[in-house]
Amino acid sequence: MTYIASVNGTALAVFAVVVGVTMIVTYVASKRISTATDFWAAGRTLTGPQNGLAIAGDYMSAASFLGIAGLIFLFGFDGFLYCVGFLVAFLAVLFLIAEQMRNSGKYTFADVLAYRMKQPPARAAAALGTLAVVAFYLIAQMVGAGVIIEGLVGISFPWAVILTGAFMVTYIVLGGMLATSWVQIIKAVLMLTCGVVLTVWVLAKIGWNPINLFRDARANSAEGDAYLKPGLFLSTPLDTVSLGLGLVLGTAGLPHILMRFFTVPTAKAARKSVIWAMFLIGAFYLMTTALGFGTRAILGQGAEKAVGETGNFTVPTLAENLGGDLLLAIVAGVAFATILAVVAGLVISASGAVAHDVWSNIVRRGRDSEHEEVWVAKAAAFAIGALAIGIALLGGEALNVSFMVGLAFAVAASANFPALLLALTWRRFNTTGAVVGVLVGVISSIALVVISPTVWPGPDSEGGALSWYSLANPAIISVPLGFIGCFLGTMLAREPTAEAKFDELKVRSETGLGAEAATGTTLAGGGTRRRRAAAAATATMVPPL
Amino acid sequence: MPDLHTEADWKAVERSPEFRELMRRKKAFVVPATIFFLAWYFGFVFLTGYAPDFMGREFITDGLTVGYALALSQFLMTWVLGWMYMRRANRVWDPLSARVRESVEGATPADARPSTRFRRGELVTEHEEVPQR
Repeated sequence: MTYIASVNGTALAVFAVVVGVTMIVTYVASKRISTATDFWAAGRTLTGPQNGLAIAGDYMSAASFLGIAGLIFLFGFDGFLYCVGFLVAFLAVLFLIAEQMRNSGKYTFADVLAYRMKQPPARAAAALGTLAVVAFYLIAQMVGAGVIIEGLVGISFPWAVILTGAFMVTYIVLGGMLATSWVQIIKAVLMLTCGVVLTVWVLAKIGWNPINLFRDARANSAEGDAYLKPGLFLSTPLDTVSLGLGLVLGTAGLPHILMRFFTVPTAKAARKSVIWAMFLIGAFYLMTTALGFGTRAILGQGAEKAVGETGNFTVPTLAENLGGDLLLAIVAGVAFATILAVVAGLVISASGAVAHDVWSNIVRRGRDSEHEEVWVAKAAAFAIGALAIGIALLGGEALNVSFMVGLAFAVAASANFPALLLALTWRRFNTTGAVVGVLVGVISSIALVVISPTVWPGPDSEGGALSWYSLANPAIISVPLGFIGCFLGTMLAREPTAEAKFDELKVRSETGLGAEAATGTTLAGGGTRRRRAAAAATATMVPPL
Repeated sequence: MPDLHTEADWKAVERSPEFRELMRRKKAFVVPATIFFLAWYFGFVFLTGYAPDFMGREFITDGLTVGYALALSQFLMTWVLGWMYMRRANRVWDPLSARVRESVEGATPADARPSTRFRRGELVTEHEEVPQR
């Protein structure tokens, strides 16, 4: 079973269907978006369940669809720890962030941070946090896309990267967040359906008793009992804890996830969307048990060659074994849709940081027109897409991206999350604190990963740059450093306006007083009449300050 | 009734009994629930790191490990706490926060939107005085 062969015709047909459907959605969306709120927040008209699906589609990358099942197949229990961390993280989002974001922000999480602080420095800090997360996450996804598509379909790596980047940019430039949201919804439905089909098929094969997954997998592993125990992949206890910390706090600082809460009309809908996302994402992660342990139980050690070093081809291998070429092609198509939905979400959040935070509020000081803001956002999305394609092509297949998604979560947990949480809850917090905290969080997590054994001097080396430092996951050091940075920076300066405006931010974020309204733009329709009605409703809701 | 055009007005809302009641009720759930989920989650993570043999122990039936059962309990905890949060939010916090908005806007409960009072806001030059656009 080798996948690097000639072009797979069936898979190519499935790809064409995925691209065709998403392009129709983009075309329809392009007719409906005109304002900045349409472009970045899909007119704030998504329903709770729709946004829940879109969050699931935005959040679960190829690492969730292919990577985790691969880790479970190769290393057993340890792979499942990722599922737990990725899911529990949504409690932090729900309890501390989601509704407050919806109530007090507009397009980016910088809006919340900058609410009571000095605009340029606070927005610059948030934009830095956003762009750092997006850069690492996006490069990992683009290189992963190239490798996976090349392996599954036979399209060469450079073409796979260029095509992925081109579709991503097309969705955003033409259809903005409206198209991106629906691409994510379609992808979530495809991915969950695919998961259910594979899970039921696996269970049928092993006699419908889920416990047989573990029994048969253990019997088929050279590791025996150790396969069901922790330690095969995560062998350093402190590193495991550090990984766990990064996973659970990182989600609440991921700019592309935070941005999704601006696409619903009310805080109540934001809340509902997190609950939907929790159930959908949890359901998929439960199914990775069947995919990972199931591949081990059904195919045994014989599949170890086919799944590759990273295990990324575990699900495709399983699919081909169960349902032949057609099921393999469908899995490949779903993997492609998965990558497209995630990279589109990442790039639109980066375009928000560049156009809304840096251009509109720092460079132009809010004196630009909305038309200009959207235009800059589209140009930024185009430039970021081109840059990501360029870096992925230069780095090539050999680029070590395994640490990059982990690094993105670490930056989000150490830089974005502390600043955002303290802005919403700590009266004394000020601009200096936010800037110092974000800088310390970004720099410390990147520096700690650079000197770690994963990067320095290269993967699989013994030890990193410093003999006494060997953590692969920086969160256990960088998250406290981020909070300390916020605290010490705050103590350096006194900012009466930031403290005085805390009451306003608190009341607004908790009650939704004067919150941004919906515009009436939906994919299904809306049109001028609906838009005018919504605009009239919005006019009476313009915040007084 | 506060005019909501100055910081002092927002301070008054923040100090109003309605808002204080909302925050008290919310904290009564969110603070303990956050402590609980972090404790349960990090308990699991620490055991995974430091007690692999315990996590690998099988119980109830051959093949089911303590570690996997605890991992499943994290799924259950996430769903149950999420559902509890939503129930409380819909039944208790939403009516309280509507009361805060009414006390500010004088709107009827059915229409909790800011009313004419906010029209004046439009006259404020947007880019100079609105903190963000």
